[in-house]
Amino acid sequence: MKSINYKFREKLNSTIGGEAHNFCYQCGACVGDCPAAMYSPDFNPREILLQAILGDEKTLTGENSPIWNCTNCYTCYERCPQAVRPVEVIIALKNICYQKMTAAPEVREIVDSVKATGRTVKITSLSDRRRKELGLKEVKIVPMEELRELFEQ
Amino acid sequence: MKYAPFFGCMITVKYPQMEAAVRKTAQNLGMEFVDLDGFSCCPDPIYFKATDKLVWLTIAARNICIAEEAGFDLVTMCSGCTATLSEANFHLSNEPELKEKVNKRLKKIGKEYKGTISVRHIVTVLRDDVGIEKVKKSVRRPLNDIKVGIHYGCHLLKPSEIMRVDDPDYPTILEKLFSAIGAQIVHHDKQALCCGKACMSEEIPERMTYDVLTSLKKSGADCMGLICPTCFDEFDLGQIKLSRKFNQDLTIPILYYFQFLGLAQGLSPQEVGLHLHKTKTDEIIRKLNNSHS
Ligand code: SF4
Ligand code: SF4
Repeated sequence: MKSINYKFREKLNSTIGGEAHNFCYQCGACVGDCPAAMYSPDFNPREILLQAILGDEKTLTGENSPIWNCTNCYTCYERCPQAVRPVEVIIALKNICYQKMTAAPEVREIVDSVKATGRTVKITSLSDRRRKELGLKEVKIVPMEELRELFEQ
Repeated sequence: MKYAPFFGCMITVKYPQMEAAVRKTAQNLGMEFVDLDGFSCCPDPIYFKATDKLVWLTIAARNICIAEEAGFDLVTMCSGCTATLSEANFHLSNEPELKEKVNKRLKKIGKEYKGTISVRHIVTVLRDDVGIEKVKKSVRRPLNDIKVGIHYGCHLLKPSEIMRVDDPDYPTILEKLFSAIGAQIVHHDKQALCCGKACMSEEIPERMTYDVLTSLKKSGADCMGLICPTCFDEFDLGQIKLSRKFNQDLTIPILYYFQFLGLAQGLSPQEVGLHLHKTKTDEIIRKLNNSHS
């Protein structure tokens, strides 16, 4: 019998959206329509919630955590009778990974772009030209000095 | 009717043809856009939200504040922006403690979230404010013979507790909007499947996209109609990659709803930017022209 890592659960409790993991009663209603589970035998939101309840920090927040295969479709949020909002628990776990520097590399790429330019997609001469051809105005400037204040903790 | 449009990053930079189509068609429906200064990325509900939900909420709240100060509802054209801004608006107006935390941060830049406006995907504005009848009346060249497979995507509808748009399992909003412009709607097995874009494995989204495209093609649809630039990315660019990978023709035109609406209102394919798509849209244009010759 595994012992429960309450310290990790505390951490999850204090992350936005993580606390609801306590209320999962393992019914599996979140699994049937989960596309990531349909397409990958290794992904199962009920199991992720079980690992959260056990406080299995290594599996959930390690380099190869299954959580990154979630498609963020929110179907489990609709199905869960306990208002666990499994996808939000998964995102809370992602927040913990980000702190531990174990987040998927795509995450850092996109976030670096937002931190540098205020946007996820870079403006290029091609994108400017396309806008012009379509009769659209130039892209407005993002006030980065304001944004930078908000990236700080 | 005045609204503050929020076009986000994907549409503004990568797919400006969607912005062009929205601006041109909305005008014909009597919607008035007041373009506000200072918006940033919504920020995106997948990657950015995965880093720190509190920072994500704070930057979303900053965008909402800009619309609050101007006194207009925010109208979004991308399901991702819709998700971020609606979720932020919902949580901040329902959870006082969270609001206080966020406002403490916003104070540094002289802003305060109040919770005085709504965030709405533009298709809900068409259904609820403009009205289906008026959409119908704006049509000059109905899409009579064009068979459209609708792709809802996830974030317009879910979580329904927050979105409050339609039945999340059996929605009808897009059927109504496509019928209004005369299109024939084709249903297929995988129409409710997620586009898979947010999944960070390579294989899973590929197989999902493959299944949607093959099911769509089997249904006899001429094209796919959707309302989100991220889904568009996955299906338009994605089908070229997958056709090569699986050595199978998976190509089928993918259009944004407002491009269809533009064509139906009499705009040219160029004006709604169909030439910028990866997949050829000639066949649809030919059908449309034939049905009106
Ligand atoms: S949000 Fe993630 S876990 Fe939930 S149903 Fe969708 S893919 Fe599965
Ligand atoms: S549906 Fe809810 S309660 Fe049931 S297993 Fe999934 S998360 Fe737990």
